[in-house]
Amino acid sequence: MASNLAVAVLNGIVWGMIMALIALGLNLIFGLLHIINMAHGALYMLGAVFSWYVIELTGNYWLALIVAPLGVGLVGLALERGILRTIEDQPVVTIICTFGIMLVLQQLVLTYFGGTACRIALPIPWRIPLFDLQYPVMRIVIAAISAAVMGTLWLFLNRTRYGLWMRAVVQDREMAVALGIPVHKVYMWTFVLGSVLAAFSGVLAAPIVCVDFMMGREILIMAFIIVIVGGMGNLWGSVVTAVMISLIHGVGSIFVVPSTATVFSLGFMILVLLVRPQGLFGE
Amino acid sequence: MPASGADVLLTLEKVCKSFGGLMAVNYVSLSVRKGELRALIGPNGAGKTTLLNLISGIHTATAGRILFKGEDITLLSPDRISHRGISRTFQITSLFSGLTVYENIWAAAQSRKRFFNPLARPERWADVREKTEEMLELTGLAGKAGTVCSELSYGDQRILEMGIALSTDPELLLLDEPTAGLSTQESMTLVRRMRAMLRGQTIVLVEHDMGVVMELSDMLTVLHYGEVLVEGTPAEIMANDEVRRVYLGT
Amino acid sequence: MLLDKWKGAAFPLAFGFLMAVLAAVPFFVDLFYQTFLTEILVWSLFAISFDLIFGYVGLLSFGQALFFGLGGYAVAIPVLKLGLGTGSGLLLSVAVPAAFAAFVGFFSVRLTGIHFVIITIIFALIGSTVGETWTSLTGGADGLVFMAPPLDLGVAKLDLMDIRTTYYLVLAIVALSYLFLRRMVRSPLGKVFVAIRENEERARLIGYDVRRYKLLAFVIAGGLSGLAGGLYSLSLKYASATFLHWSVSGHAVVYTIVGGAGTLVGPMLGAGLIMSLEHYLVKLLQATDLVVGAVLISTLLLAPMGIVGFLLGRRK
Repeated sequence: MASNLAVAVLNGIVWGMIMALIALGLNLIFGLLHIINMAHGALYMLGAVFSWYVIELTGNYWLALIVAPLGVGLVGLALERGILRTIEDQPVVTIICTFGIMLVLQQLVLTYFGGTACRIALPIPWRIPLFDLQYPVMRIVIAAISAAVMGTLWLFLNRTRYGLWMRAVVQDREMAVALGIPVHKVYMWTFVLGSVLAAFSGVLAAPIVCVDFMMGREILIMAFIIVIVGGMGNLWGSVVTAVMISLIHGVGSIFVVPSTATVFSLGFMILVLLVRPQGLFGE
Repeated sequence: MPASGADVLLTLEKVCKSFGGLMAVNYVSLSVRKGELRALIGPNGAGKTTLLNLISGIHTATAGRILFKGEDITLLSPDRISHRGISRTFQITSLFSGLTVYENIWAAAQSRKRFFNPLARPERWADVREKTEEMLELTGLAGKAGTVCSELSYGDQRILEMGIALSTDPELLLLDEPTAGLSTQESMTLVRRMRAMLRGQTIVLVEHDMGVVMELSDMLTVLHYGEVLVEGTPAEIMANDEVRRVYLGT
Repeated sequence: MLLDKWKGAAFPLAFGFLMAVLAAVPFFVDLFYQTFLTEILVWSLFAISFDLIFGYVGLLSFGQALFFGLGGYAVAIPVLKLGLGTGSGLLLSVAVPAAFAAFVGFFSVRLTGIHFVIITIIFALIGSTVGETWTSLTGGADGLVFMAPPLDLGVAKLDLMDIRTTYYLVLAIVALSYLFLRRMVRSPLGKVFVAIRENEERARLIGYDVRRYKLLAFVIAGGLSGLAGGLYSLSLKYASATFLHWSVSGHAVVYTIVGGAGTLVGPMLGAGLIMSLEHYLVKLLQATDLVVGAVLISTLLLAPMGIVGFLLGRRK
């Protein structure tokens, strides 16, 4: 029992760290561009798929960890410049448009990658003993990498010029324009950054779950929920909420059937939306 | 100087409104008589628009009471307040932008009905049609009835804004800077057209254009930092030193 | 004067003509196309129910699939497990989803913008999670297969195992639903809806209890979505939890946008066009949704008012 609980807690934290990256990307995109990116789950999926191809070609997971997010970043760049730029100011249109992008990305992957799910072999197959079970070290590494990415993001936002520009545009767009900040460039790079974060999640998740063209669909809603409950624009809120929700779901699943845990967490989300729509940590 | 008696239409009793830590309206009391045109003036941030928001129900007072025709409307929702007989215009034009002038006025004209039959033909509602056509004539926009209002000139939009507010047959009309964004010339035209449209409704007017204020008002209430500084007739206020100080910042 | 008379006659003439054509179709095409056309009609109904809340009231809900799927089960479960007739099933396919819509709507209309979109998706997700796991009731993703007993109309008994009969039934119901919605959006109630869409705060200030009207529209849309789902499961003799998933709502969204939101005719045209496109493309590539997604994106970028909207000279 204790071992089950320990595993559930660890898994919850690991998965929470993965979801946190996705949520951070979504939060940045929404906070800055006010775009509700329904294709975000597809970008996550794309990250996992790209990493699969890199591993197929080179056998090197660590290389995939670098190449795949960059590749998805390029995709994000193309999407922002080619499609979203013209409709960024219309929230309803962008929601529906990103839904269309989600369809296209999913189906492209279906066509070229195939419909069957594939597993990625763990690059670090060691396990450490946890009570009377063996816990995969890889998962701990994944959580650590996620933390490292988050740390890098923090440094970027708070210690670089571009990060400063991004924060300025979030605060007051017009003032930023008046100060000569290239707002359109900031929009573009923000979307790219959000895509890269989603892709990172995908690569980190790939060894744990199956790489499958539909894997983004369920993740998408969870990501939205995390962002809203955590508070849109509140990056720490997203991280905390991501870990919290994953823990609750993971530990809850020991005691009840997973679907019941899902339904209860969804119900909890509705409550938060109704009672405190600015999120648990929002203003 | 609160007036008493049956001819008082609107009363504010020690109304307060705070946003977070900011007291936008601070123990404001005033009374408006039936048929009166009361102007609310004061520097920016004095709480004038907030007061209108409180009366029309967009915000709820944190303390105090608002009485209309003797009844407490402090906690009512905006749609209920509209049905009590209060109408409002906005400083930033707020119309049904994708709809035509006719449809805008119709929407307001039909709002007094109790039941909206999903299967009825609106053409059969002769009374609403008459009211709409009457208001179109009154506003002078009859010739543009089929125009989508986002294509109207700014001045026409301001007139339409008033037309919509009047189409609900209000007893009390709250006007929020009707001449906002208009040149002096255009303001004069607007005031003239407004005068033609009004039929003795009680009015609370928020306005920055002193010429308009002096020409139209019966009484003035001067607000400063969310409080009532002084009240009086236009002549009295013009002569008041404190008012000058507040406006000129000395 | 004559022009006005002609104008008044334009719609009945066009509608009558279209109905005549659709009624004649089974005499000219084989059973496969009759089934296909039945399917198009069903999804058209789903699309116009979405158009009511999206195109006319301005509420974007990605959760209408919940009511569509419920409608399917509202027919399948009573018929299969309780021995009820098809007629009762159809009535339930309106009533049960409408009741759920009242519940979901009661909470959802308190929210706006993205919060509204998300909460509708969450409700649909709860529905599909329950539907997929409560297999004893719903058959889960595999669903329920059932035999539809003949529909007893008193004057005649309609054998729903016959494809042509099913086609005519669906055609009649969808046509009536369209006429009902068309009348509604032109009625005083429809004008309230449109006012809310254009400027919610203004609508409130001229005396409309906006929440109540949003809820009303949501319930009507839910009932009609359910009817579409019920007709669908009747025509397939099959109901499944997969129809409860929020992504199924995407169909209605795509058909409405491409055809033209806020036109009623547009979404139906959109359904017909896109489904036909998918049908012809599936021989070329398996991933027809790719083209659908591309069409959606192109429409939004180039002609967001949709086909019918464009023809009507709108700019959305």
